[in-house]
Amino acid sequence: MDSNLAAGLAMGLGAIGPGIGLGIAVSKAMEALGRNPEASGAIFVPYVLGIALAEAIGIYALVVSLLLIFVQP
Amino acid sequence: MPEGESGGGLIHVSIKAEELFRIGPLSVTNSMVGAVLASLVLLVAAWYFRRRATLVPARVQSLIELPIEWMANIVSGSTSQWRRYVSLVIGLFLMILVANWIGLLPGVGTVGTNVTHGEETELVPWIRPASADLNFTLGLALVTFVVFVFWGVRTNGVGGYLKELVGEPRYMAPLMFPIHLISELSRLISLSMRLFGNVFAGEVLLGTMIALVPLLVPAVFLGLEAIFGFVQALVFALLTMTYITMSIAEHAGAGHGDHGEHPAQPDQPPHEQAPNEPASVHA
Repeated sequence: MDSNLAAGLAMGLGAIGPGIGLGIAVSKAMEALGRNPEASGAIFVPYVLGIALAEAIGIYALVVSLLLIFVQP
Repeated sequence: MPEGESGGGLIHVSIKAEELFRIGPLSVTNSMVGAVLASLVLLVAAWYFRRRATLVPARVQSLIELPIEWMANIVSGSTSQWRRYVSLVIGLFLMILVANWIGLLPGVGTVGTNVTHGEETELVPWIRPASADLNFTLGLALVTFVVFVFWGVRTNGVGGYLKELVGEPRYMAPLMFPIHLISELSRLISLSMRLFGNVFAGEVLLGTMIALVPLLVPAVFLGLEAIFGFVQALVFALLTMTYITMSIAEHAGAGHGDHGEHPAQPDQPPHEQAPNEPASVHA
């Protein structure tokens, strides 16, 4: 019971930061695309990498909550 | 673990791959079946299209060549030695892509045998998408890790690689060496955990949605998961490429991090691009 609550809190709170970060990354990428549509090829790879690195933080939260649910302390 | 099982009221979630049968000491799990299936798909496709390949591609062949050319195009922009690791990057991409998409096929994860544990009966599926098992993703991440450490040692030498770990102001070494070491090892963890977490969470999401609303709604998430499967395969391949590029590029600065990279990087692209740019302007 307690660890289920902890798992929910870990995932929910842990998703806030990556969510904000992903929003900033996508909005800046779209802004750059709107200003300079020809640069889409140059933007794409750093964009995907940045998205992946921001998302990794959310995945850490997922891992913690999975550990809380499946590996009982 | 009674509380872990209590989540299985709606759907059954198993974080580790279930064992199907044993061959001697080797236990064959359902994710191994998924991995072998993905390899077979790639092998058969490679054999078939290698046999029928023509110089001027026909319709199906150009469809197959499209993602490979696209990836090779991206990788060729990284370093001048790209030809030596392009096959690894494309191989990782195709393997993870097929392994992810196998999980979306009907029958995968739903067709299996019922196994009774005491009172509870649970379904053990015959096939589980390979990337929803941490062993598979950790194995791929280990390959990447060995390759980029190998490239770092190869271009800088063992001493240069260790110097890179110690960092720039030598007196900070007691503090910086553990940090650099952990950041190297955390690449291994974040690479494997990202792929596993995404695919496993996708499977759980699909299962929950099918259990809640069996009609139409899962189709939307199925499309979403197809996109995620592609993006995660791309991310894994591109991160592999970036780590290799970083361990090669650090060589250009002769062991110095910041001072070397900045003169070296503007140096190289003008040499390569200078003949190209006027040509494209004239054309």
